[in-house]
Amino acid sequence: MGAGVETGCAIPPGALDRLRGLLGERFSTADADLFSYSHDYWPISLQWVLKGSFPWLPSAVAWPENTLEVQEIVKTAYENSIPVYAFGGGSGVLGGTVPEKGGIVVDLKRMRSIRLNEEDMVVEAEAGVNGYYLEKYLNSKGYTLGHIPQSLYVSTVGGWVATKATGQFSTKYGGIENMLLGLEAVLPWGDSVTVKPHPRTSTGPDLRSLFVGSEGVFGIITRVWLKTCLAPGERILLSYVSESFQEALESVRRILRRGARPAVVRVYDETETKRHFYMFEEAYGRVMTVMIVEGDSRIAGAERMIVEEEFRGRMLGEEPVKHWLETRFTVKEASEFTPLGVVFDTIEVSVAWSRAMLLYRSLVEAMRSVKGTLFASAHASHFYPQGVCFYFTFAGVPKGDPEKYYNEVWSVAMKTTIENGGSISHHHGVGRQRRSWLKEELDAGFQLLKKVKTAVDDKGLMNPGNMGL
Amino acid sequence: MPGKWDWLKDELRASGMARATPLVLRFIGGRLRGPDDLVKCALCPNMCRHACPVGIVDGRETTSPAGKARVALFLRQGRLQATRENVSPLYACLSCDACSVWCPFGFSVADLLRPVKEKTAGGVGFKEFREVFENLEKHGYVYGEPKPSGSGSRNGDLLYLRGCTLREKHPDIGEKAEHVFQHLGYRAFTIDETCCGMPAYNLGNTSLFRKLARKQAEKIGSSGAGTVVASCPSCVYAYRVLYPKHGVEIKAEVHHVAELLEDRLKGLRGEGSFVIHNPCKLALGLGKPRALWKTLSSVEGLTVKEPRRSGSETFCCGHGGSAVPRLNPELARRIALERGMELTEEAETIVTACPTCKQAFQSNGFKALDIIELVYFLLGGEQCSR
Repeated sequence: MGAGVETGCAIPPGALDRLRGLLGERFSTADADLFSYSHDYWPISLQWVLKGSFPWLPSAVAWPENTLEVQEIVKTAYENSIPVYAFGGGSGVLGGTVPEKGGIVVDLKRMRSIRLNEEDMVVEAEAGVNGYYLEKYLNSKGYTLGHIPQSLYVSTVGGWVATKATGQFSTKYGGIENMLLGLEAVLPWGDSVTVKPHPRTSTGPDLRSLFVGSEGVFGIITRVWLKTCLAPGERILLSYVSESFQEALESVRRILRRGARPAVVRVYDETETKRHFYMFEEAYGRVMTVMIVEGDSRIAGAERMIVEEEFRGRMLGEEPVKHWLETRFTVKEASEFTPLGVVFDTIEVSVAWSRAMLLYRSLVEAMRSVKGTLFASAHASHFYPQGVCFYFTFAGVPKGDPEKYYNEVWSVAMKTTIENGGSISHHHGVGRQRRSWLKEELDAGFQLLKKVKTAVDDKGLMNPGNMGL
Repeated sequence: MPGKWDWLKDELRASGMARATPLVLRFIGGRLRGPDDLVKCALCPNMCRHACPVGIVDGRETTSPAGKARVALFLRQGRLQATRENVSPLYACLSCDACSVWCPFGFSVADLLRPVKEKTAGGVGFKEFREVFENLEKHGYVYGEPKPSGSGSRNGDLLYLRGCTLREKHPDIGEKAEHVFQHLGYRAFTIDETCCGMPAYNLGNTSLFRKLARKQAEKIGSSGAGTVVASCPSCVYAYRVLYPKHGVEIKAEVHHVAELLEDRLKGLRGEGSFVIHNPCKLALGLGKPRALWKTLSSVEGLTVKEPRRSGSETFCCGHGGSAVPRLNPELARRIALERGMELTEEAETIVTACPTCKQAFQSNGFKALDIIELVYFLLGGEQCSR
């Protein structure tokens, strides 16, 4: 092995034979595979990629093709006390899949069946279905899921549920938890459980919640049932320029209070307006808002009227929205700047309207106060009648250890969020980067979570260490 | 209008960090190229994964587009040893360039991997490729000694290059093509052609590719042809795109059959329902994602359908790029099945414009016609057999 790194957990020969017998070439201990599953899109792990040096490698990688195979893998791991990490698209940005205790990475991307029930408006998808593939399939049948994260091209439906993801069109369609009707998962000892996809049910605590946002610590999601919507008959593109961030946010709050639900609402602070919309001179140094209202043409038309009545700002027409649509999947900063020694990341938090501006200002100031920071800025990316998600971006060129600087910024950001009454994560999840702050975020709930973890995963084998569990 | 990086210059000034970031300033000032392309690709979260047939069907990070770039980077760094096991993922590429459609940098992963392939392939010495190289060296033909080339005319005003796969697997299409060209008013002729070199290029043997390219260009030149047409889009891609990059000149105009037929079938009538499979090298390599559709939809009476992934979103048949069918035939088969199933949701008969695509679908139980076969039939010729 080139890197000379221990895999952390040796798989007993009997278990190796069993898994090789079960999966054949879909089970690997080859170096190239171990390297490939030793990171995700966590900026710290990008530094490892750049150096070709990983602190942790898995012991093996498995590519099951059905739930029974996942069960066999997990059962073998349980019997032999081998850690297991579920892997989807690897687009997580917090190290949620890093195999820090060695063990088996279970990549679900060979599980890709889709079944659409048009009458019930439900799509059943295996966990490894690619996001874009699913949306394209639904579009061809006249539907949409409405879940369009920036990772759409990369991520999987199982990953969406496991990380409690949300998408760019969430203000209308909601987060993945709002779309999820049912799921099938493999439990830490190898049994499977199906939470059936009813329109609604009142049959005790909602077991879906155990897996939504679980990041692989309670088992492996193998199949989901999701609500679908009719593909929008009409799409209205609107944009505004405002004199202040607060004024634009207030406008959106008023729109949502009246019950309108534009699918996309994004409000960029002055720095990000300059960054993303520099070609629109009228907006440069001001605040850009882009909106998409869509759906049935009559409903969309009514929502448009509400938007136009409530938004205080200068209308800029469709062009800024078209620009956003064209560039929304352009992810290149990490590729361009990481090798130049720039530490770059995003942090998304949520907060109620009453504390929104205070949190925004405090967080930008806190991140800027860390020595080495080049800039810190934000846009508001997801909206609710009760509050908003701020998506912060920071970059810095530290003099010393980049990881130390990175963690310092994260530390002040998390601390400031908690102090200002926000939640430390809106949709990226916890992973390994946020785990130190989860206890403070959840308070007594963290002890409850730990007890649930111990009860469900008695040997502590499912993604050990993730979320601090 | 403010510039792209003005916002960052403003931020650097405001933070007092401008002097501390000479590299960033040079980069945004256009005075520093930044990291090399392989590194950029390796640091991408795989924003083209959804378009990559291998990425989707194989489902492995190791063979995903950015995953391959990472393996290549680790090999280049010496962090991974150049063993067969570690080098093989680089060949899990169909060279379809679907990645380049979605890449924010416009990269072709196949192109990024090529230097590492060239450097490592010799050491690994894939036995699966050796036979190809030997055949190309000895016979200028992928499949060994070529069969007698039939009774094609040796002079005319249109040089028709059939390519290795058509000659080996579907020689009847070559004969039908000559009838079709005649209908269009051409007197087509053939020559004792040499492989265009694409298999060598795809398999990491660039010196052999150049040798074949020079030989083939010389033969085309000595034929005196002013117009050349080929059935294989990969051959046309080689002649039009790769040869000039490698200093090999073809003076004649080179077209793919689908380009030659475009706008030439008006007035033709037919019936039946067909679904189009755009070959990747025609749609993406030659930048003609609508050529096949335009040609066929101009025929009155035909029902021409497109699959979900069409135009510039076309999905390779699994047999492109020369390497996958040789190193991992099961993966090639699974990709062909995936694409074939998608296509036949629309219509039973697939129409394509590439002998390799036709072969990939046919050998997996699908009914597939080359555009030449369909046009030949529409012109009153017999329906070709599968």
